[in-house]
Order: sequence, then C-alpha cells, then structure tokens
Amino acid sequence: MTDTGGTPDPNRKAANPRYISSAPFDPQSVEALTPEQERYYLASQWKLMWWKLTRHKVALIAGAFLLAQYLVVLIAEMVAPYNMSERHTDHIYAPPQAVRVFHDGKFVGPFVYGLKYNLNQETLRREYTVDTTKVHRIRFFCSGDKYEFWGLIPMSFHLVCPDKGGTFFLLGTDRMGRDMFSRITVGARISLTIGFFGVLISFILGIVIGGLAGYYGGWVDNIVQRIIEVMRSFPVLPLWMALSAALPVTWSPLLVYFGITLILGLLDWTGLARAVRSKLFSLREEDFATAAQLMGAKPARIIGRHLLPSFMSHLIASATLSIPAMILGETALSFLGLGLRPPITSWGVLLSEAQNINAVALYPWLMLPVVPVVLTVLAFNFLGDGLRDAADPYK
Amino acid sequence: MIRLSTALIAVAVLAAPPALAADFIEVPFLAKRVKDGKLPPIAKRLPETPLVVDYKGTDKKPGRYGGDMRILMARAKDTRIMVVYGYARLVGYNTDYEIVPDILEKVEVEEERIFTFHLRKGHRWSDGKPFTTDDFRYWWEDVANNKTLSRFGLPREMVVDGEKPTVEFIDKQTVRYSWSKPNPYFLPALAGASPLYIFMPKHYMKRFHAKYAKKKFLAKMTKKGKKPKRWTRYHTKRGRQYRFQNIKLPTLQPWINTTNTPAERYVFVRNPFYHRVDTNGRQLPYIDRVMMTVADSKIVPAKTGAGETDLQARYLRLSDYTFLKRAEKRNGYRVLQWRAGNGAQIALYPNLNVRDRVWRKLFRDVRFRRALSMGINRKEINEVMYYGIAFRGANTVLPSSPLAKPDFRTKWSTFDPAAANRLLDEIGLTKRDSDGYRLLPDGRPLELIVEAPSEGTEYTDAMRLIKDSWKSIGVRLYPKSTRREMFRRRIYSGLTQVSMWSGLDFADLRPSNPPLEIAPTEQVQLQWPMWGLYYESKGKSGEKPDLPKAQELVSLLDAWEHAAGDKAKRTGIWQQMLEIWSDQVFTIGVVGGVIQPVVINARLENVPTKGVYSWNPGAHFGIYRPDTFWFEKPGQPAN
Repeated sequence: MTDTGGTPDPNRKAANPRYISSAPFDPQSVEALTPEQERYYLASQWKLMWWKLTRHKVALIAGAFLLAQYLVVLIAEMVAPYNMSERHTDHIYAPPQAVRVFHDGKFVGPFVYGLKYNLNQETLRREYTVDTTKVHRIRFFCSGDKYEFWGLIPMSFHLVCPDKGGTFFLLGTDRMGRDMFSRITVGARISLTIGFFGVLISFILGIVIGGLAGYYGGWVDNIVQRIIEVMRSFPVLPLWMALSAALPVTWSPLLVYFGITLILGLLDWTGLARAVRSKLFSLREEDFATAAQLMGAKPARIIGRHLLPSFMSHLIASATLSIPAMILGETALSFLGLGLRPPITSWGVLLSEAQNINAVALYPWLMLPVVPVVLTVLAFNFLGDGLRDAADPYK
Repeated sequence: MIRLSTALIAVAVLAAPPALAADFIEVPFLAKRVKDGKLPPIAKRLPETPLVVDYKGTDKKPGRYGGDMRILMARAKDTRIMVVYGYARLVGYNTDYEIVPDILEKVEVEEERIFTFHLRKGHRWSDGKPFTTDDFRYWWEDVANNKTLSRFGLPREMVVDGEKPTVEFIDKQTVRYSWSKPNPYFLPALAGASPLYIFMPKHYMKRFHAKYAKKKFLAKMTKKGKKPKRWTRYHTKRGRQYRFQNIKLPTLQPWINTTNTPAERYVFVRNPFYHRVDTNGRQLPYIDRVMMTVADSKIVPAKTGAGETDLQARYLRLSDYTFLKRAEKRNGYRVLQWRAGNGAQIALYPNLNVRDRVWRKLFRDVRFRRALSMGINRKEINEVMYYGIAFRGANTVLPSSPLAKPDFRTKWSTFDPAAANRLLDEIGLTKRDSDGYRLLPDGRPLELIVEAPSEGTEYTDAMRLIKDSWKSIGVRLYPKSTRREMFRRRIYSGLTQVSMWSGLDFADLRPSNPPLEIAPTEQVQLQWPMWGLYYESKGKSGEKPDLPKAQELVSLLDAWEHAAGDKAKRTGIWQQMLEIWSDQVFTIGVVGGVIQPVVINARLENVPTKGVYSWNPGAHFGIYRPDTFWFEKPGQPAN
C-alpha cells in the first residue's frame, strides 16, 4: 500500500513552489467601493427612496407646496387678514382689490386704493369704483379682527391687516360682505385635513384588519372579506345624506368635522385592507416569515416587523394618491349640499355657495376656491407619482 | 268680492257686459281646419253670448292673433301651471280681487247661501261637445255623491256645519246650489288658483264610470286589477282636470295640452271653443301655442337670461335681478318689477305645539315672542339681502290692502335689544352661561334650533344675520336645513322648535277674503299645526286651542262667516283679528313686499308693468289674464 494522501508530504512544498501573499486576506479587495459607492450600497431603503424622489423635480416642488399649505393650515387664522365670518355690509360683492406699490410715481410700499360704493338703482347692481385718492397701506404683523385660534385661544394677531378705516379684500367679498381670501384660507383647514385624517383612519383600519385577514387566512379572512363586500355594496351617497342629517345641529363645527372625517375613514378602509391582505398572503410564505415564526415571534411582531415593511413604501404611495380623492370627495359632497354645511367653511361649501348664474356672470371671484382645489389635487397627484416611482428603489 | 245690493234680501247679480254682435275674425291658426270642414267657423264655435273683454279703462289694448309663447317649468307635473295661467274659472278674481263671472254668464247670490249659476248657451268643451248643466249633474250625482268614487265625501268648501247643499238643475243652462247658512268659501274656492271643480265632461268621463260604461269596456279596463272597484282608479286618473295630463280630457281652458307625460317639452294649443272674445271680434287667446320646457329650477335664471322664455316669474328671485337686467337689451326681453303678494318674504314660526314642555311654555308666552321679534335687526337684513327696498316688519297685510294700518307692520318689530332684554328678564330668564347666553328655567341653555327647507341660500343667510342680532338678547340660534317633506313632518309632530318660511300666502287682502290664514284653521300653519288640524278635522284629531287669544281668533272667524253681506261688520272683524295677530306676534315677520322679477319678451304686449305676484288668489299671472297677452310682430324669433 502506498501512501496516497493522508499526511502531507513536506517534500512536495519544494517540488511545487507557489506564491502565497503574506497580506491579510481581504475578500472584497477586487470590488472595493469608493466611499460614494459605499454610501449608496449601504444606504437604507428609506434613504434610497429619498434620493430617488429628489430626482423627480416636479414631485419635490409639489411636496414643498403641500408642506407650505399645511403650514398655513396650522396658522390659518393668522394668515387671513379678516375673521372669516366677519360681515362688511358696506362692501357686499366687492371685487378683488389689487395690491400696488407705487402711488403717484412714488414708492409707498404695498397698499390698496379705496373702494367707492354705489347701488345702481336701475339694475340693482352694487357697483364699486376704485378711488385712487385714498391710499390704504397694508399693515404687517398687526392686530386686527378678533378670532379664536383653533377655536380655543382668543387672539387678534394677524400677519397682514387692512389699513385702519380701509379695506383689503385680496379676492373680493361674497354676498354677505365676507372676505373671500380669509374664507378660502380658513376653509383650507377643513378641506386639507379632512383628507389627511380620513386617510389616516382608513390606513390604520385597513392595515390592522387586512393584516389579520392576510396573516391568518381561513375563517378570519372569510369573515373580513364578507364584511368588506357588504360595506362596498352600500350606496355611498344616500349613506352620506343620512349620516350628515344625523349629526346634531348643536354640535360645534369641530365635532361635526370630526364626525364627518370619521365617517369618511370608516367607509374608505376596505380597498386598502384588500391590498394588504393579498400582499400578506404571498409574503407570509416567504422564508424570512417562516424563520421568524420558528424563532417564536408573535403574529403582531411578524406582521408589523417583518411583513409590513416589505411593502410599506407601496402603501405610502397609495395613501398619498388617495388623499386627493378624499379632498375631492368632500368638495363634491359639500357642493351638492350633502357634506359640510355653513357655518362650517370648506372649499366645497364655498363652491356650493357660488353655484348660481349670478356668480358666473357678475361675481366671478366667488369661484376662486376652485383654484386651490385644483392645485392641491394636482400637487398630491405629482407627489404620489414621485413616491410611487421611488417606492421600489432597487429597480 | 261680491257686490251686494242694499236691499234686505240681498240679490247680487254679477254679469258680464252684454255681448256685441260684432263680426268675429277667424283665427288664422285654425283657418285650414275650418276650410277643410273639420272645425265649425268662429261664430259657430263661440257661445251665443261670449264673454266680451273690454280693455277700456285698463292699460291693455286689443291685440292680434299668432305666435308661440315659451315658458320654463321645473317639473313635468307642472303642466298644471297652464290651468293656473289659463285661469278659465266659473267665477274668477279680477285685478281688484273681486269675484266676477267668467265661464258663467251670470251668478246670482242670495244672502251668500243661495248661488244660482247661469251657463252660456252654446258653450262647448274643447272637443266641441256642449257644456251644460248635465256636466254639473254628472259630477254632483255620479262623482261627488258616489260612495266608491268619493270616499271622503264632499269637498270641504261645500259643507257648511255638516250640511250638504241642495242642488237644483233648473234647465240646461241653470243650476242652483243652496245651503241654509251662508257659505263664504264657495265662490273663492271656484275662483282659486287650484280651483274646486264642480263639473266634469260627462260625455268623456262616463265611459269610465261603472254606471254608464259598456260592460265590455269596463271589463277590459279593469282586467288587470283584481278588485271589482278598480274602475274608480281609472275614472279618477282620467278625470283630473287640474293636473292637465290626460290630453284626451276635454277642457274649458284657453290652451289645451297636446303632449303626453312624461316629456321634456309640452305644447299647449289654443282651444277653438274658448268663450272669451275682445271688442274687435277676435277670439282669445291671441297666442296660438304655449311651449313649456322642463328645466331644472337652478338653470331657469340662466335660461331666462339667455332669452329662452317669453313669460317667466317662477324660479326667479330678486338676487337674479341684476343678472337678468344685464342681458335685457341683448336678448330682447324686459324685466318687470312686481311685488310679491305674501305677508313676509321671510318669517319665523315659533311652534306653539312643540313637544318639549319648557319650550312650549316659553313660546306661548307673548313676551317671549315679542322679545324675539324685537331682537331682529331687520334693517340690516333688508340692506344686505334685499338692497334695502323691501318692507321691514311683521308678517301682516300689505300697505296696498284697504285693511292695512301702519302699526300692523311696525308693532313689536323694531330693533330694540334693550326692550327685548327687559321682556326676557321679566319672564325670568335671567340666568346666563359663561358666554352671556341665557339659560332656560330648567338649566338648559336657551338654544333655539331654527329649521328651514334646504333650498338656496336665502334662509341660511337670514338665519346667519338673525343669529348675530339675537346675540344681543342672549339667545343662541342654530340653523338647521332639512328637506321639504321632512321639514313639514317634523313641525306637525312637534319636534321643530322654530321654523322659517315665507309669511302669509296672500297679504293684499280685502274684507271679503276669508280671514282663514290668521286663525288656527289648517295644519299647514307652522306656528300651531295641532290647533289647525283640530279645526280642519272638526275636532276629530289635533288639539283644541287653549290660548285665549287663539280661541278669540277662531270665534272672530266664526263671526266673520256669519256676517254675510255686511261689509262694514266684516271689515271690523278683520281689523280686530289683525290687531290681535300683530299684537300677539304669533309669527315673526322679517321683511315683506320683496320685488318679484317678471321677465317677458319685449314684444309681448298687455302684461302689466306693475303687478302683485301671488298664488291664491292671483294664480300668478292668472288674474292678469294671459289669454289677452299678444305678440307684436308674431313669428319672428325672439332675438
């Protein structure tokens, strides 16, 4: 028997000399990364999404616009020059006043000219002429109409105020002489947040219920699916009518608003729940889910920690896209007189007040709330678009 | 209403001026049918004594034939508006709100209890069949007194203290209705915007009536229905003269419906057998056809502004005036300023029959109602919403009414928060919450929920303004909009505290108009629905009025009814009632006499430039007789 292997033969080393580097072993030396590359490859999913999003310029601008809008919503009463419901009976249907800087060729800073009112006895038209002799300088950081900040704290601070004894109707006034700009600004609070909170509620409900259904399957899934089917087959419009009639009139506007947000959210979660459920169905079969299970993780942890993050980005994008749908929903319902009603003011309420031939023919500025509605919905759509592209950064 | 002679046994003879045996001028629109022998010539079509309309003393002038008139209505069931505008009635109101014969040649009234009607000899239905007392007999014997057809008995206006009239059919042209007690409601019902019909075209209707119908026809007709009494349904459905939907039903109106329901556009064609002529011998109406287009009520102002109508007041509001005026020249129409005939454009109705005991006690306290009224800043509402041209004040008769006294409108209705606060303190509502609003005796906040039908912004705007002025008297107002059906139902059942609606339906009142509206007589009176129901049902349902002043109104109404023929006494009773009405502030009027824009084609003649726009009496345009309206240069397009 010859020695075929077993113990190494010290002589062979000499017979077969090879170069052996004495440097320490580094498996990645060939594909070493520049610091930049490293940053990219080691970045978290969220970071990647952000980078991808920054390349979508329109989405960024839209996002910034929305952010600014929500900031205004926070301090709407301060931004508005007037108290939203303050009536100026001498200035009913006053047209928008242009802001000027130069008077008689001289710089005076931002100001508006006064308005002269005259009732045309023949046509019963309230006519306003610009009185260029009266210069009303706009005041900044000033004290003006009293209001209750967030309906709680009585204040009178405004960012912009009309001159003392003068007026400042940037977007004109309505049939009761209320400043349209103030109404649009304060109305934004309802219109913008109703979508936000509505989506939030439907998000939570959708994830919890859809998650349970998707994770457990079986009879849980069965029951949830049937409930969703029933809810989806409700005719929404009559339901809205019934619910908005059921809210007691003595409720403060704030409560009514929350009631309606709740209703919106309670009706809207079904679509999201289905998306979550189907996604979970496939994800729970993945190895990492099984691993987590074998390690003894509880279902709540598995769903929340392992499964949801795998498609959270997708959820956020879809939520962003459903906010404008809710804003439009509120606007449409209020426009039809089914949603919010005066004295609560939202863009939809403002538009429903403008739905007559007089507004179109004589007082077109009453239809201005359309502009923020369009801009906001567009912005949300652009942002949602950008987020969706960014949502899967590994592509 | 009725001119009564001074004789003890008053015999009033209301007669049209005698017919002139003028040469009648044939209608070009019908000439071909006359030539073809399908229609008799004009002289044969008219009654022997047609009603000759004399324009002397009025602003109207004789017109010419021809033209199509376009009107806009909101619903297909508004075909009935042509019965209102057509305003052919047995007796009808003239523009002074006196009742004069129209279809009838003559009416004799004795002691306001015996009514003898004389028909026009040779008067024909729109299908050419004679219109005689047989048609009255058919309705009286086979419809009104047929237990299966009229399950609920005779119409209310024909029953006096439970007594039916004695009806005599004297000859083909004469019929007499008599009661043992005066019936002041009979003629006004016949002259109403939605009139009481006491006749029916027998020759057409009898085919649906079990008594006359051929057995085979009846069997065929009722085959689908299993119950043997089903024929009544067909009879009732085919015989609705007010609705104007059955195009085969003969009529006496100036225009006949020729379009089946439902439709988007209805065409009404002139009635060749209409009974009125002008002094030149032209048969009325002058206008050949009326085209009624159905459009949503919100679109009507826009369509009107575009010149798509020739006669429009319905669905137009004062707030549309400026818009309408702007396109006046360009689209060839004129905007007229009529006055609304109601007592108030906006009025508040505290529900004296509200279920809640605390509220009920408060509402029944006259001091509370007065305080609410004095807490309203009517001047501001008038300025903001009505350009300052409406009448401010209580819900009462218009200044043009002979019954009006200046203080009816001003009493308890000038803005005086100090006086109002004093009254409220006097009642004992002295406790206030942290915001300065008063509290009810049981500690609840004094929050008045004011309900209004959700139509347009007029009511909500007014409430907004009232809310602010009520703040000064420590009363909080919550506006609530409900759908119109719900609105009434909630009031009837006592759930509504205060409602907002327009005031008295008709306020240009004459002493001869029954003072029904200001006494608790009907459930639709929003301030006391239960008391009204009690009167309406003759005590079978509802509640007996238990407020002395309300009882007084009922007994005064009774006295008015029995003061037949005594004009001075009736005027006195009216004034007494109006005084109680304004002193008690049962309804809180805000503004009244608002301008009603009336848009007419610039070529449409004989439409009065000033008028009172009211439903009953008035029939909107009815008493101004649209059959006398005519087009200058017919046939030209409107623009």
